[in-house]
Amino acid sequence: MNNSLLQVRDLSKAFGNVVTAKNLNFSLARGVLTSIIGPNGAGKSTLINILTGFIPPDSGEIIFQGKDITREPIDRRVRLGLCRSFQVANVFGHLSLFENIAIPVLAVERKAKSFLRSVAKDGEVRKEVDKILDRVGLLSQSHVPASALSHGDRRLLEVGIALAARPRLLFLDEPTAGMNPVERTRILQNIRDLSAHGEVTFVIVEHDMDVVFSLSERVIVLYRGHVIGDGTPEQVKGNPQVREVYLGEEVT
Amino acid sequence: MMESLVHVCLAGISAGMFIWLVASGLTLIFGVLRVLNFAHGSFYMLGAYLCYTCLKFLGIDFWLGVIVGPLAVCVVGYVMERYLLRQVYDLELPYQLLLTFAVVLIADELVKIIWGAGSIGSPTVPGLAGSVQIVGRNFPVYNIFIMVIGPLVALALWALLEKSWWGRIIRAAASDREMAAAIGVRVPSLYTGVFVFGAWLSALGGALAVPYVGLLTTGMGEAVIINAFVVVVIGGLGSLKGAFLGALFIGLLNSFGTRFIPALDMFLTFILMGVVLLWRPQGFFAGVDR
Amino acid sequence: MKSNWKYIIVALMLLVLIGIGYFSSRFVLYLAMKIMILSIFAMGYNILFGRTGLLSFGHAAFYATGAYGVALCSMHVHTHPLVGIMVGIAAAAFLALIIGFFCVRHTEIYFAMLTLAFGMMVFSLMWNLRDITGGDDGLSGIMRGSVSLGFLKISITKDSQFYFLVLFFFALSMLLVHRIYQSPFGLVLAGIRENHVRTEFAGLGVKRYRLAAFVVSGAFAGLAGALGLLLESNVTPFAAHWSHSANPVLVSLMGGLQTFSGPIVGSIVFVLLREFIERFTHNWMLWFGVILLAIILGFRGGIVGSTTQLVKRLSKVS
Repeated sequence: MNNSLLQVRDLSKAFGNVVTAKNLNFSLARGVLTSIIGPNGAGKSTLINILTGFIPPDSGEIIFQGKDITREPIDRRVRLGLCRSFQVANVFGHLSLFENIAIPVLAVERKAKSFLRSVAKDGEVRKEVDKILDRVGLLSQSHVPASALSHGDRRLLEVGIALAARPRLLFLDEPTAGMNPVERTRILQNIRDLSAHGEVTFVIVEHDMDVVFSLSERVIVLYRGHVIGDGTPEQVKGNPQVREVYLGEEVT
Repeated sequence: MMESLVHVCLAGISAGMFIWLVASGLTLIFGVLRVLNFAHGSFYMLGAYLCYTCLKFLGIDFWLGVIVGPLAVCVVGYVMERYLLRQVYDLELPYQLLLTFAVVLIADELVKIIWGAGSIGSPTVPGLAGSVQIVGRNFPVYNIFIMVIGPLVALALWALLEKSWWGRIIRAAASDREMAAAIGVRVPSLYTGVFVFGAWLSALGGALAVPYVGLLTTGMGEAVIINAFVVVVIGGLGSLKGAFLGALFIGLLNSFGTRFIPALDMFLTFILMGVVLLWRPQGFFAGVDR
Repeated sequence: MKSNWKYIIVALMLLVLIGIGYFSSRFVLYLAMKIMILSIFAMGYNILFGRTGLLSFGHAAFYATGAYGVALCSMHVHTHPLVGIMVGIAAAAFLALIIGFFCVRHTEIYFAMLTLAFGMMVFSLMWNLRDITGGDDGLSGIMRGSVSLGFLKISITKDSQFYFLVLFFFALSMLLVHRIYQSPFGLVLAGIRENHVRTEFAGLGVKRYRLAAFVVSGAFAGLAGALGLLLESNVTPFAAHWSHSANPVLVSLMGGLQTFSGPIVGSIVFVLLREFIERFTHNWMLWFGVILLAIILGFRGGIVGSTTQLVKRLSKVS
């Protein structure tokens, strides 16, 4: 119980007649790298959107670190330690990489409201930003605008922005989509390292089954808004219902 | 009291009809092109001045002026869409708004240069010059004519959009630009067409307003565009039915406002606009449309 | 290296402005004050427009509030100009807080329309509340009292004296806006312009920052309005009309939206060009419209942006 980071209770959401979440119940444990999979339209993205505050649920509760956050706005959830990346790289296009990372760093260090001090002259902020840029391997391009980056680098930057918000729980929506093999290896290694470090608990939504089964300790399978499989990669692979759903779709 | 109420109503409705003619083009253009056109009031003004010129200097009949004036404005609309607006569709909103604003500045000044800065007394229309008795007071025949024309235009627009092949294409382009292009609609030409048509509607309003307003000024475009903005907002951006009802409503509100609470003249209109934007940004009359 | 240049330019500009104050004719003084006041208006406005990416058509209302604030204060309360200016700024900022509270719920076209609606509400109130605001005649004949700082009493009745008060506020505004642009707050605003969803997901309440930008820019508009009133000694409701809000937009656009110096350069060009064109023709707005079209269609970086690009290209060639 104590180890539980996020609990979802009876969470439901429907768009008209389309049910995207139906009485979902599960909890995420601290430090366990979890993947959420499911065929297209299973409700994976909706689930992340609900958990991170992008769309409100119809009913149910979300408990994060013992606190009910069902009605909390996005920015409050982020400050409590719940952050995400997006399917399409979502960065600050015309700002430099330094500035991209500095924004969440300032938010974390509660300096964002100050309007007379200079960002560039704040040693603490610079150190923290450089540390994160180094971690995602973009330190050398610190003064390049984000819009000049390659697609893969932009996704790395986005993970950097999410990490800079110092999350306890970080949702990554298809982190390897559109990446070349080199970038993919780098980001997966990053996720492994950080997860092993224990500060951040990752939840990954993925299509690529290689990534899912090589990386995760726990896999949750969604289908039409229901959880139809939940367990270690081996358990899920052996689950007959999961095999049925995936049969002919994405067998790997 | 009763008589005055009826007349305040009638005045409001006829004033609303002019706003409707401008707002219809404005909302149509917004629905398809996604551009809010400040210069729409300038089309109204140009329509009025051109019609007046036909009448006064070329000695043509008023009704010919109502046809010729707006057609000339169509040329202006064509040039504006084809050579100016088309350059900025892909830019951010401020650039589009400011481009149309620049056209307002230019049009206002050109009118001042061509027709002079002062106001021009405008003529009466033969055949519609008199007035009739309605509940004990005189009411101009011309205003009755306007109250007939407005709904007729609305009806014609409805028929055009709902019943004709053109209307189907316009609606398709309004709801999904890429899809329309994919099924073979030539979107750029369609945009030009809709813009020119919208300009024509506004100019028609201006031309018809010549006998009504009594005075032509360069400020008339600006006055009408602000009202048309309010109408388009409360009707729901892009909704024609909303614009018609909105125009009637604003016409009546202005008319009653000036009659009974002159201290809040204009204020009511803008409060209404603000309230609708805040609590029903899709428009007060949204849902009336499909 | 690069930042040294900036300081040199600013120092030179201030020197020139001080020189103008001591040696120039009344006409030049008047033009210089107009430029500085417009710069304050535009610099503040650009915090919202260029920085945060929100186009407001309601800032004329805050300018007018500043102006009416000073006028009413000196008519009914006290003629001390500094007190009047403070009242003007406070009133504008307070009004911006109320109006902004509603407006920042929307963005893009809806935001622009909302600010237009609220701005015109203020305009119609100033127009209609004849007893307080003088109706369409406005308030006129406001005298400048002297600035008394306890022991010291400085007269600003003459333009050549008032000029230095304007210069002081201009320099102060420049400093403040520059600090804001370098600050965390300024960076967050740029983040909101670039990507408000990501800003929210960086843990920042976007609406509150938008509101803060709105109020700050409203306060600068109030300061500009207050100084404008003291310069002209009158104000009419048209100061609050939405078309007056277009001035800072055009000035910022002309100078360069994404730059700190854009609004200042734009103001200089705007006022001087207007003065120049009006020598030859009465139709200054026509030429202004043409210039605006040219900027939108060809030189979207504005004067500052286009020049820096040109310099960069030239330095690459050589």
